[in-house]
Amino acid sequence: MEACAPVRRAIAILLSTLAAACASEVVRQPATLTPAAAGAERRELQMAQDSEVSVSATYSRVLPAGSRWQFVGELPQGAVYRRVDGIFTVEGAHVHEAYLVIAGEKLVGFYLPVESSFAPTTPIVLKTR
Amino acid sequence: MRRLSCLLLVLVCACASGPKFNTVESTLSAAPTGKARIFFYRATALGAAIQPEIRLNGAVVGKAAPHGVFYVDVDPGNMEVVTGSEVEKKLTFQAGPGERRYVRAAVGFGVVVWRVYPELVDEGEAKKEMADLAFTGAKQ
Repeated sequence: MEACAPVRRAIAILLSTLAAACASEVVRQPATLTPAAAGAERRELQMAQDSEVSVSATYSRVLPAGSRWQFVGELPQGAVYRRVDGIFTVEGAHVHEAYLVIAGEKLVGFYLPVESSFAPTTPIVLKTR
Repeated sequence: MRRLSCLLLVLVCACASGPKFNTVESTLSAAPTGKARIFFYRATALGAAIQPEIRLNGAVVGKAAPHGVFYVDVDPGNMEVVTGSEVEKKLTFQAGPGERRYVRAAVGFGVVVWRVYPELVDEGEAKKEMADLAFTGAKQ
């Protein structure tokens, strides 16, 4: 029975590799960011706790407690915040730098600055300070 | 024993050569005014035989040599990084004037061979990983 362990491990690696190779693109739609006014004070958010957010059915990311995010503009879907004390990316078939899109207290999606697009997510309430 | 020696020799030859990054970092000139500086590095010798080219916005800027680090100074704006590998996974990010961004050539096991793909890394983590790597110079 123990002899099967390496085979099972090999199959698991192969399946995870295939899953990664077949990852689908991040679902998104074109979006135009209205930048924050030049010279205006940029408000900041800080995550009060770790929050797991889903990017797709098979991929999620954690917004770490204590991470800081600065307001950079608006989309029709909400206010856009960029991480200022680190980097944040979302991943599908490719990896994209991403900003948070927040409406009220809820994260509603991500803004991909290079692609000028909005990637929706299942809304969750973010605990911030 | 001879085979093992040959294998080790191949691995050593496959790694980047140059001074340790932490010995030259303080001597690097600043990026020209208005430019962004993008560092590229590969911190592992896994899959050392696979050393794909690294393309930034379509132009080849270097290759993903194991244990090597280099940088390019570019006009700020949108960046797209691709490593020619078994599965092509691109990385997109923005870099502003005077900003430094760090891209790691990560290694994973592909369907047939190792695959090398780009990841955006924050400065603190990148500096730790780059400290002992061989600096192979500034690329144009």
